[in-house]
Amino acid sequence: MVKVQNPFAVALVNIADSQDIASFKKIFDYFSPRLKSFLMKSGAEEGIAEEIIQETMTIIWTKADYYDPKVASPSTWIYTIARNKKIDILRKTRKAILENIETAVLPPVESKADENIEHDQKFDLIAQYLDDLPEDQLSLLKMNFFEEKSHGEIADLTNIPLGTVKSRIRLALEKIRGKLEQDGTMANLNRSNESNMIN
Amino acid sequence: MTFEILTNPATSPASLLFQQCLVEIVPENRLTNIAKDEIGGYFLECIKPTPVTKDLWMKVLNSTNGKEKIKKNTSHDPFLSQLPIALQVHLKNKEINWKSFKDVKIASILPKDKNEKLELIHVMPGAKIPQHTHEGHESFLVLHGSYSDEYGNYKEGTVQVRSDDHHHTPVGHPQTGCIGLAYTHGKIKFSGAFGKLLNLIAN
Repeated sequence: MVKVQNPFAVALVNIADSQDIASFKKIFDYFSPRLKSFLMKSGAEEGIAEEIIQETMTIIWTKADYYDPKVASPSTWIYTIARNKKIDILRKTRKAILENIETAVLPPVESKADENIEHDQKFDLIAQYLDDLPEDQLSLLKMNFFEEKSHGEIADLTNIPLGTVKSRIRLALEKIRGKLEQDGTMANLNRSNESNMIN
Repeated sequence: MTFEILTNPATSPASLLFQQCLVEIVPENRLTNIAKDEIGGYFLECIKPTPVTKDLWMKVLNSTNGKEKIKKNTSHDPFLSQLPIALQVHLKNKEINWKSFKDVKIASILPKDKNEKLELIHVMPGAKIPQHTHEGHESFLVLHGSYSDEYGNYKEGTVQVRSDDHHHTPVGHPQTGCIGLAYTHGKIKFSGAFGKLLNLIAN
């Protein structure tokens, strides 16, 4: 199987291996404006949004070593760091309570030695599936997992009964899980869990 | 029930840390969470970019200047090593301030907040916790060992959600005891004579 190389995954590896500034700039140029939109959409003022971006970028620089292309796509990893930082900063004045919270964004998962599938392929599968979703379901997922609204808030906003909101989200999520499972991610996770218990 | 907890967005450090532990110790949840995060990543790529201010890159460079790379490592402390990585990382180099109630130890692991709290509960083998109710909702995640009460047995990787009208008397597993993580909105409330005494100490 041809190894897919996401340019940002390569950039993260370069940062981890050789503290490569050019790679870091590439990540910054692509993701900062997108993170800014995401953060401002979820209620951060411009100044706070940029502060969160600054902290997110610092974490990317110092913890690029944690990034594992077999576990998540670069955009997912970066999104998760920013999301966690946002929760931390917006909620509790400015004091970082969970100073290390970002390190836990993706618990380490052992990769299969013989597996050459980069996560991008999984990401592409999911992206493909999301592209094919009916607009009404896609918008529910977007509200829930990107704009980070609770099931109750979504029900209020859309006038869809709470039970229906939950069941639609569950259904869509289960289908995506199914796709991940087909890829053997589940087997990986189970194995990793066992090895965690032995250690 | 874990579906509810996982798919409603975390709004605070306490709820986020609870979610992360939940994801980590139940493999099925990890997959749900990966799917959920991938959706976040997908929309991040689709969103219309907003230009950042010109000096942000310089600020980023300044804040990374001289910062060392941080390598993955986890704790060798025998107690901590039983906990999910998310908690190990959070508790690293911090002192856990246990409050002991006979055979049960409770430690708050985040600064006090009027609306919620996150606590580690360590129940020694066979120890019994006096009957109590909970103010607000309590989500209890079994991290290690197991416990039982009047209603059932709860093993590692399970979550129990209890409301304020729920009375129960949990007992730690006779061999392993139980370590759990309790995420509570509101103060825990003990009932019964001994419970009243515990209320005074716990709150």
